[in-house]
Amino acid sequence: MTARLIMKLRVEKAHLTSPDVLHVQLVHPLRPELPHWTAGAHVDLRLSDGRVRQYSLCGDPLDRSRYEIAIKREPSGRGGSIWAHENLRAGTIAHVSAPRNNLPLAENAKRHVLIAGGIGITPFASMARSLSAGNKDYVLHYCARSAEDAPLLAELQAICADRLIPWFSQQGRRFDTNVLPRRDQGTHVYVCGPSRLVESVRTALKEWPEQQIHNEVFQPTIDENFKAEPFEAVVASTGQRLLVPANQSLLDVLRDSGFIVPSSCELGVCGSCECGYRDGIVIHRDHILPLAKRQDRMLPCVSRARVGVTLDL
Amino acid sequence: MHSTTKSLPRMVEAFDHPSGSLAAKSAGGAMLWQGKLLHIHVAPSASYEMEELHEAHCVAGRGIVGDRYFEGTGTYSPKPDVREVTLIEQEALDALWRNDPPMQDGRIKLEPGDHRRNLTVIGVPLNHLVGRRFRIGEVILRGGRLNFPCKYLEELLGQPVFLPLYNRSGLNCGIEVGGIIRPGDPVELVA
Repeated sequence: MTARLIMKLRVEKAHLTSPDVLHVQLVHPLRPELPHWTAGAHVDLRLSDGRVRQYSLCGDPLDRSRYEIAIKREPSGRGGSIWAHENLRAGTIAHVSAPRNNLPLAENAKRHVLIAGGIGITPFASMARSLSAGNKDYVLHYCARSAEDAPLLAELQAICADRLIPWFSQQGRRFDTNVLPRRDQGTHVYVCGPSRLVESVRTALKEWPEQQIHNEVFQPTIDENFKAEPFEAVVASTGQRLLVPANQSLLDVLRDSGFIVPSSCELGVCGSCECGYRDGIVIHRDHILPLAKRQDRMLPCVSRARVGVTLDL
Repeated sequence: MHSTTKSLPRMVEAFDHPSGSLAAKSAGGAMLWQGKLLHIHVAPSASYEMEELHEAHCVAGRGIVGDRYFEGTGTYSPKPDVREVTLIEQEALDALWRNDPPMQDGRIKLEPGDHRRNLTVIGVPLNHLVGRRFRIGEVILRGGRLNFPCKYLEELLGQPVFLPLYNRSGLNCGIEVGGIIRPGDPVELVA
């Protein structure tokens, strides 16, 4: 559970980098330097109604003076991007958290293969900068409809040069998983974009160890078949028993009972509310906990339990 | 984020707190000192960066207007406690910057805007003000309990401040008489 500072940052510049993607530069109105971050990190943007959205930082991790994010307008989304497109302009104050990195570059990798689809390019813009600066071996596959529809394309071409491989469907080039390297211990693959792309890469690499494939999802759990059932949570330190009704999250019940649990997205993607558990069968519904941690860690914002669970609180 | 309840935040009266009530019944404490208010900071809500004020309105029984504990939106607001105003000594921040005592990797720069207490004071023996009344400008505060460093602060700052702040993390106070305070205001004991 990591708490993160929320800052009121000033939009220094906001412009469309492609027809539907707003590129926003944020600075601190009082401090010359923003909190440190590493390639692959994201920030939370707070909307005016208190809801929170995650956006990958797409600028240069070495430039502490500004944060850069790129937001795609999603007319059928949950409203966050529309709000951002309508409200973020030069001079606007935006409420932004300190960064967190759920998609770091694998430190010991010998080769990095980055695969982006559309707006999924954002974490790779910072990664490409870090990899180029560190003289690392990498390649960036960039899938989009056309060059005009590819956000941040010009700056990526400048950073990556011939390491950038465009796949523009209007030119008849669709990403071909046959170009993926053969399984190799030192190679790590990162994929961000539409679920179709992520799935095709994951399918192509199904023989690979899980630790060598990295992806991040900033979306709520959409599982219409999931039916929440009530269950009981026991607090290990006190023996207190809490009933979690079907229409409430474990996080809400903990809060109502006076527990102080940090949280942010409440969608199972940010990891703020992570907590430990002992006995019980947990129904994990988050997008972030690696398999190895699911034995004894859970995200109470979306995950539940069958019948009962004992929490390490 | 905590749910935004419209009801007033619950506070524990400073001299009702177990430590404040005990100390208030016995004579003693530090006398013959005079200190100064250096900085005023508030945060609008839990986890928000602190903002400096050049003038603050203290409300008796409630807190500093605009602060998260005044609004009931602080990290610890759901737990009633003495949190109307919190103070810390500049001397403690100076000690951290000297790495004194040398308990961590090196010196720690904890700026007045970063420690998340409301008031930074100098020349004020905070640890001796539990159970005492003291004045900042026209405002009278009651020392309720010593502040205790929290892991939350350490996480928020990304700095190992928990141990070095132990026993000098400041004082949690109630407001007996409200009013306006400004940096530079004298701080003194009220007999």
